[in-house]
Amino acid sequence: MSAKVLLKNHYYIVIIMTTETSKNIPTWRKFVAGILFVIPWVLYTLLPIYNTIQPELGGVPFFYWFQTLWLLISAILFVIGVLLLYPGKR
Amino acid sequence: MSMASPLVGPLGWGIFLGFFIVFIFLGFYGARWRRGDLNQLHEWALAGRRLGTFLVWFLVGADLYTAYTFVAVPSGVFASGALYFYAVPYVATVFALAAVTMPALWRWSRLRNYVTAADFVQDRFKSKLLAGFIAATGVVAEFPYIALQIVGMQAVLTIMLLGIVKNVKMVSDIALTISFIILAAFVYTSGLRGATLTAVFKDVLVFLGVIAILVAVPFVIPGGFAAAFKAATLKALPTGVSTLKSPFFITYTTLWMGSSLALYLYPHSVNGALSAESDKKLAMSTALLPIYGIALALLAMYGILVYGSPEAMKILSLFPASARGSLVIPTLAVTALPEWLAALALLGVFVGGLVPAAIMAMAQANLLVRNIIKPLHPRITPPGETRAAKWASVIFKFLALGFVFIVPATYAIWLQLLGGIIITQTLPAVFLGLVTDKLDKYSLMTGWAVGLGLGIYMFITPHKPSAMSPLYPIAGHLVFIAIIALAVNLLIVLIGTGIAMAIRRSA
Repeated sequence: MSAKVLLKNHYYIVIIMTTETSKNIPTWRKFVAGILFVIPWVLYTLLPIYNTIQPELGGVPFFYWFQTLWLLISAILFVIGVLLLYPGKR
Repeated sequence: MSMASPLVGPLGWGIFLGFFIVFIFLGFYGARWRRGDLNQLHEWALAGRRLGTFLVWFLVGADLYTAYTFVAVPSGVFASGALYFYAVPYVATVFALAAVTMPALWRWSRLRNYVTAADFVQDRFKSKLLAGFIAATGVVAEFPYIALQIVGMQAVLTIMLLGIVKNVKMVSDIALTISFIILAAFVYTSGLRGATLTAVFKDVLVFLGVIAILVAVPFVIPGGFAAAFKAATLKALPTGVSTLKSPFFITYTTLWMGSSLALYLYPHSVNGALSAESDKKLAMSTALLPIYGIALALLAMYGILVYGSPEAMKILSLFPASARGSLVIPTLAVTALPEWLAALALLGVFVGGLVPAAIMAMAQANLLVRNIIKPLHPRITPPGETRAAKWASVIFKFLALGFVFIVPATYAIWLQLLGGIIITQTLPAVFLGLVTDKLDKYSLMTGWAVGLGLGIYMFITPHKPSAMSPLYPIAGHLVFIAIIALAVNLLIVLIGTGIAMAIRRSA
């Protein structure tokens, strides 16, 4: 093998090492992260539970502020999910 | 129509133009920022794949929260009511899907030097033809999306020019053309680096405008949100005001789900995601993007809030009913905010359309060069490839601009919804491709073709509520066509793959 090929192979190995992740993640981490990612999908399909006016918040009906609040909650759930999937990686 | 008194005076115009010059400077400065060899496609189009969590958040935020957010959604809430709040569950859920799929696509792309999702499909299913179909779908679906950005920019210019010039349409068309020449020039020289810097600028202005209106509400709108919801209720908006009317439950759910499945199939979303420095940074910034959606939710509610402002309603009444919706946010800005702040908010909406338009045209160009031109001319050099992409991005921008000048604005919004139906048909090859390589490529092509044909047919054929509506009645419920076409598409892919496997096993 020429030096050039060796160098090229080495380059690929470095990329593989930095790009492979999901292989060594314990199943429980993937499972919990999966549930966290799915929660907003399930919640928003249950439309009748949030399609109400009361309780209002600052004159805004529940239908509007509840769904808006869940944007923030979704972000928190997703961040926890990502931390579970990428432990100790930069 | 008699000349109304101007809404934006010399101070406002001065601030708008002054900060627009800052925007232009940032766009060109991008070429020097984090210098790389801009003759390489991944350097020009993906900013060298070196953006960290913070910059990816701002870039992708600016890339995905577009004139759709500032204009189409408030306009929909204003005219139809609660149904258009589907945009909120859409942006809450889409980033869960993206946090799972995009880092996986990023890893493939980093390893094999992909620039587009079609690059991945070509390798995964060993089919240049399938990749060509995926790429062509992306190029076509992106056009009306760019057109929508221009409609948003037009809305800003309409409010700014009101009472200043006689022929608002002509002056705003000239202003748009100049803006696009500047945009094309800096995207040509700086690529995604320029878009990234201007994206941060855009995001700051957008948040400033949204928060400023929120703070101003109690002072300028008598009775605040409560009064506005009451006033809107009197207007009896068709899908409900304070809550969603029950016939629209399935419509609401299929609209947010379909939009959610579609967003990260659009080339500009993939383009933004692939510019990240690492898969973890991409996943983290994606996870945080629903926070940007809070601005979208507020803007959507401003579609109701405007009913509480007699001054804003008076300005809107100067325009034909069909044109009022897209003017809601610019009108609210000039009536609720002090002039200097209103000018910044208006500029936020204006560049809010320009930044995504830049990335969309760039992503179209990558697809054209990588997945359509290159397979036909395999000997194209990397610098040749990049040069072709730069010019293609210029041409695509002006095609979209010409499209807006010819087609009425309402059609532009409708066609954007058709774009969503079209792009969703690439889901099996791209998203399922990330999970498995077992799918049969001919089944993928058939599913794509049937899904496309069915979606377009259902869209244009006369039906309730109207032809050219993205909704189609099924068992008495209006359903988003993207979901119906995707279901048929998926069924074909799965059954076809099953048959192909059975044949291979028996052979």
